Amino acid sequence: MEFRLSESQQQLKEMIHGFAHSVLRPMSLEADRAHRLPDDFLAKLGMMARAFPGGGAAGLTANDDAPVAKRSSSQHRTTLVASEEMAWGDAAVILSIPGPGLGGPPVRFMGTPEQKERYFAVFKQPGVHFGAYGLTEPGAGSDVAGIATTCRKDGDHWVLDGRKCYITNGARADWVVIFATVDRALGRAGHRAFVVEKGTPGFSVGKIEDKMGLRASETAELVLEGCRVHERHLLGGEEHYRGSEGFMGAMKTFDATRPVVGVMAVGIARAAHEVMVDFVKQNYLLSRPIPRYGALAAKIAEGARLLDAARLMCWRAAWMADEGIPNAKEASMAKAYAARAAMKVASDAMDVMGAHGLEESHLVEKWYRDLKVFDIFEGTAQIQRIVIARRLLK
Amino acid sequence: MISFALSEEQQAIQETVRRFATNELRPRARELEQSGVPAALRRTFHDLGLALCDLPERFGGLGLATAALVHEELAFGDPGAAVALFGPHLAPSALVELGDEAQATRWLSRLDRPGARGAVAWNGAVTAKRAGEDWILDGEKRFVVNGDGADVVVVFADDQAFVVEGSAVTPGRRAAWGALQAVPVASLSLAGTRVAEANRLRGDRIALARFFARAQVMAAARQVGLARAGFEFALAYTQERTAFGQPIAQFQSVSFDLAEMAMEVDAARCMVWRAAAELDAGGTSGVFAAAKAAMQANQGAWRVADDAVQLLGGAGYIRDFPVEKWLRDTKALAVLGQVDEVSQQTVAGGLLETGIAFPLDALQPVVT
Repeated sequence: MEFRLSESQQQLKEMIHGFAHSVLRPMSLEADRAHRLPDDFLAKLGMMARAFPGGGAAGLTANDDAPVAKRSSSQHRTTLVASEEMAWGDAAVILSIPGPGLGGPPVRFMGTPEQKERYFAVFKQPGVHFGAYGLTEPGAGSDVAGIATTCRKDGDHWVLDGRKCYITNGARADWVVIFATVDRALGRAGHRAFVVEKGTPGFSVGKIEDKMGLRASETAELVLEGCRVHERHLLGGEEHYRGSEGFMGAMKTFDATRPVVGVMAVGIARAAHEVMVDFVKQNYLLSRPIPRYGALAAKIAEGARLLDAARLMCWRAAWMADEGIPNAKEASMAKAYAARAAMKVASDAMDVMGAHGLEESHLVEKWYRDLKVFDIFEGTAQIQRIVIARRLLK
Repeated sequence: MISFALSEEQQAIQETVRRFATNELRPRARELEQSGVPAALRRTFHDLGLALCDLPERFGGLGLATAALVHEELAFGDPGAAVALFGPHLAPSALVELGDEAQATRWLSRLDRPGARGAVAWNGAVTAKRAGEDWILDGEKRFVVNGDGADVVVVFADDQAFVVEGSAVTPGRRAAWGALQAVPVASLSLAGTRVAEANRLRGDRIALARFFARAQVMAAARQVGLARAGFEFALAYTQERTAFGQPIAQFQSVSFDLAEMAMEVDAARCMVWRAAAELDAGGTSGVFAAAKAAMQANQGAWRVADDAVQLLGGAGYIRDFPVEKWLRDTKALAVLGQVDEVSQQTVAGGLLETGIAFPLDALQPVVT
């Protein structure tokens, strides 16, 4: 039982905190307004991420194609430490770190050695490169088994037709993992995952979403119209899809990413909480004892409690992942608890600061906007509760 | 490095206490509630060697982290018994935090005996006046756990703390409580009680804060045990009970409640473990961690206990089932210690850099 960071984790935390403070924060508002991060910044960010193979700020987007077993035993925990600090600076940046992104895990888990070689090779090239994960559709979000994008075998090619939406880095990605079905009646057993490369005929970008928050992160609609890909692009090859294992393999990545998403919410909410505390110090405290403002003290203390509890829930799930203990329930708990707690903290910060919280210069209103999606992506609050309840009732 | 792993020794202790709680406490919870903890049960518990488990290792204890495991299990059996069986109660914590090595060693030896009981008397005004080398204490204390006859009593008087013989105080009337009835809570009075200077505990404000924090962690650990009991009971019941043709756990609204309960139990436990580990490591960070853990556990346990009654419906409200007791007990555990309103002041005071808030400075809660 221990709840302190190792020395190297502490150093990493301080380093990333410094970066978040001096680089991310100052550019945060402008990037939010511009709906994008500067290209030269992305290039530097990509180089930085490569310098931390498998760890560092990479989190969701590690440029790491090493097998899980070969990674250090504290990787999940270290990733959480780094991700919280990055999110404290600006969460949209984490989603914009050049690399395979959420497309990485399915290639890593399902891909053949040749596929891994081919698709990860691009990230070793100079320049800014992204991968992406195309699962969600206009008619299938939480119920991913209901996807309607079709795939049809035609000689040694597959023909894909359908639309994908809310795809992070979808427009600029070098390749996207596209989930499609051979026959909707087969449910998950009918699912196939393809790696579709940018520029493939029939594969185009629809609209770029105008979002409530995380606006510096690119969220795109993707359109597949008679898009022909060679069978080499079918992840894992035909063998992989005897039964529904392939799909379940893709789902397993959530056990690793949900605690990261949870701790990112903690990082953002911690930022809002700090600003609230400073605000109270400067505007209310004067020289009076706090009990004079008991209700403010209560909000400050409750926020601190929620942040700690949420962080510990995330750490626990990551510790289990590092130890190889099945953690699907705990990963969902971490994300569900952290997202709600973070939203509450940010909302309280808005309440305490009043109109000042709405001022863009305070960033609090941005964080409040950014946070809402943490209760939605990587499984909504309701999906997390379904996952938890299923495992409790087993 | 962050780790939620228990040592082999901790696992063994947890296992032993879980068995004791399941076999000896849970089946007798109603009996203990009616007539308190019998001497024989106290002896059985004493034989487990865990009466002073919350003390630091240098005083023969196992540390708070392990004690938190012990008290979660005890309270899982019965929250009232968890407090009542903890015979020396908070007196050892007060001695090691507020006293010097000699004072602690001397008085702890009195509490390390089968059936020994200690008390810390906080609530109520008692004056301390110098009389030559000695002090004279006068006044009445209320809501004192083991106030009906402790062997050793730590008394807060004015801004001081003293340790006195149980025989030097007059036990008062036992309080009639609506919850946690297995715990003997009584007033006690001091009338011109003479105490030697050697028995004044000279700990500073940090020591005082750490004493309260230890008390909070123990109480919070019991809230976790209580919450787990309520959650597990509701989890089993809702899978048995059918309505509209299926077990009610299959209804999404019920299953979501169960998911929330599981999260509250786990979040509170994480906070308790962290606070206990921080306090064991020394310093003041544990003081804030303990205040947050107490808030988390008090609110979480109440919510879980309330949900448990709710999910059992009418069955939750009658005494054939234990859940109504847990809903009463959780409130008693929350107000027996430092109340959340004071913990909030402590946490906010730390963040706003206005210092640690004390009950002395703000509200006067019931601290026993």
